[in-house]
Amino acid sequence: MIRRNCLATACLAATLAFAASARAEDITIGAHMPLTGSLARSGQAFNEGMQVALRVFNESQSKHRIKVTVIDDESQPAKAVTAVEKLSSDGAAAIIGGYGSNIVGPASDTSNRLGKVYITGGAVSDELVQRGNKNFFRINNNAGYQRGVEGLIEEVKPNGVSIIASTKEAPMLLAKGLEESLAKKGYKVTLHPFDPAITDFKPIINKVKLQDKSEIIFMSAYENDYVGIIRAAKVLKPPVKAIVGAWSLATPKMYSDFPDLMQNVIGTTFLPFPVEVKDEEGRKFAAVYKEMFGKEIEYASTLAFVETMVLSEALARSADAGTLKSGGLLAEMKTTNRPSPLGRITFNEVGDNPNFALSMGQHRDGKIPLVSPAEFATGKLAYPAVPW
Amino acid sequence: MRSLPALLILAVAIAVPIAFGGNSYVMGLMVSALIVAGVALAWALLGNLGGMVSFGHAAFFGVGAYTSAILSAKFGLPVPLALLAGACGAALCSIVMLPALRLSGPYFALAILAYAHIFKILATEATSITGGSAGFQRFPPLPTVLGLDLSSRVGSYGLLVVLVALCAAIYLAVKRSHVGTALRAMAESEDATRVVGVNATLLKAWMLLLSAFITGLFGAMNAHIINFLEPDYAFSASWSILPIIAAIFGGYRTILGPVAGAVLIYLFDQIIAKELLPVGHEILLGVLLAGMILIAPNGLFGMFQRKATKGAAHAAA
Repeated sequence: MIRRNCLATACLAATLAFAASARAEDITIGAHMPLTGSLARSGQAFNEGMQVALRVFNESQSKHRIKVTVIDDESQPAKAVTAVEKLSSDGAAAIIGGYGSNIVGPASDTSNRLGKVYITGGAVSDELVQRGNKNFFRINNNAGYQRGVEGLIEEVKPNGVSIIASTKEAPMLLAKGLEESLAKKGYKVTLHPFDPAITDFKPIINKVKLQDKSEIIFMSAYENDYVGIIRAAKVLKPPVKAIVGAWSLATPKMYSDFPDLMQNVIGTTFLPFPVEVKDEEGRKFAAVYKEMFGKEIEYASTLAFVETMVLSEALARSADAGTLKSGGLLAEMKTTNRPSPLGRITFNEVGDNPNFALSMGQHRDGKIPLVSPAEFATGKLAYPAVPW
Repeated sequence: MRSLPALLILAVAIAVPIAFGGNSYVMGLMVSALIVAGVALAWALLGNLGGMVSFGHAAFFGVGAYTSAILSAKFGLPVPLALLAGACGAALCSIVMLPALRLSGPYFALAILAYAHIFKILATEATSITGGSAGFQRFPPLPTVLGLDLSSRVGSYGLLVVLVALCAAIYLAVKRSHVGTALRAMAESEDATRVVGVNATLLKAWMLLLSAFITGLFGAMNAHIINFLEPDYAFSASWSILPIIAAIFGGYRTILGPVAGAVLIYLFDQIIAKELLPVGHEILLGVLLAGMILIAPNGLFGMFQRKATKGAAHAAA
């Protein structure tokens, strides 16, 4: 009798397990990331954040299982376009975009043409939300970065700011926005645009040292440029009090790759390092990230985590409503309104997240405390303090 | 029998949209491959008939792309005319390269490479016209002609097939003309042809102009297909290197070799190599090219031609 009961229980358990797995709906999404090429450092971090988000989402419920197909866009716009076409042909329900406005622009255009929802956390150009692409969503924007840097400048009140900016679209947008806003507030601002092909920054640093005599160098550029600028500054030692930068600078990876250059450098970020996460979702993200990749979460991986969670939830809502195959995802994306490790996420009529805001973190002996704004600070700003 | 490869390629070209017309990924790959094919054809024309090896075709490609995009977006020129203007712009830019014709071999190749870099810097610095490094978007796509939307993948593919075929026909016509005979003789011995009264510099200049015109045309086409331009992309070294690889793989001394080489190389890289090695797939491309050069130094079509010639000789014996 007992044996028969055990058998029946086992059969029932197996049936239920099968039924549960049969109910779980597989949804495939596509992603193009710069896993190689000039933006590979950010692309790898984005990919990691996305993988963690999918695991967290899939483990949080049993109704939907979301899988991702990732294609390396090699940091090239044309390869990103081809990647979107392949992902769409393979049946991806939506596309997670890569990094860099010049890549996200044509890729999201293609996605829009194919009628696929496209979300990114790696492109800040204003033009992206002015095209009228109804399928385009992004969680970050130039305004958030600008607010973060302006706040720091207002706190330290330097005699002048030298902005060294790549002529690429996003860095120049941020540089010009800052130049205008800081000049209005009475700061002396000098803009030094540079060609992205430049690797020797000594002539620009010499100008900062001999002509500008500013107390702050602000770099609006990308990782390789930061390294070149700081290296040149370390050689020429201009009389500045701080070196500040934008995206992808205040990250543990930058410190581990260039420990001799990063000490005291300040950059935009969301979280301090070692990570101190206050919300439940952030703590879960940090724990799974550490388990999967053996390191702490960082700036780019957090952006990817949030964009993937937002998309996954919208996909699930759309699938629940039975509208996934009839274009319901777009409507679900528009209703997004959730807290996240980056703050609240909502989308306005052009797909932008108006709540995006950043803090400033400072490299300090391998740690990155938040030093501005004061209400989020986890450490005191070292000022004056330079990498040399 | 001699036109068999051409007929075969034509049959494949017609079969592709029938079989894959609904698959935008495959059609997108074919479109990209045909762009490379056009540039490879232009590069081979310069190398085969002009006897010049160029590492700077990216200059013509980028100038053609920017000329067409700017004229159509800022001056409202209809896209078909803008495409032609793009090709003419590239040909015009080759005029400033004419002094390099005094050089030969690796010196010419390096001089052209330097010119390509100059044009890239010009595109970056002329921000008010080109948008600089920020890039240039929002220019009109290919138009709809006789009900066929040329901006669709199938439409772009069809137009590119026609353009590649036209350029191949021009190449063939030049090759078979007296000019072609003089050019081939010049490739063997430039001094000897000068002695018999051939103006070698003028002929080389014409070939450079023609090669630049064709490259510019495909650069312009690519711009209107992808609808995005930035100096790093438009003047990317890959627009110089990939066509060379394709032409050598297919057989740069033949007319169809560069076309077939471009399609095969591009599809191999994107469909097979990228699948096997998602990161660093170019390694497989390098291995394939090295193997091809070792097995058949004259390329794929060179190998077929040799086999066909041998077969004909055996049959005659």
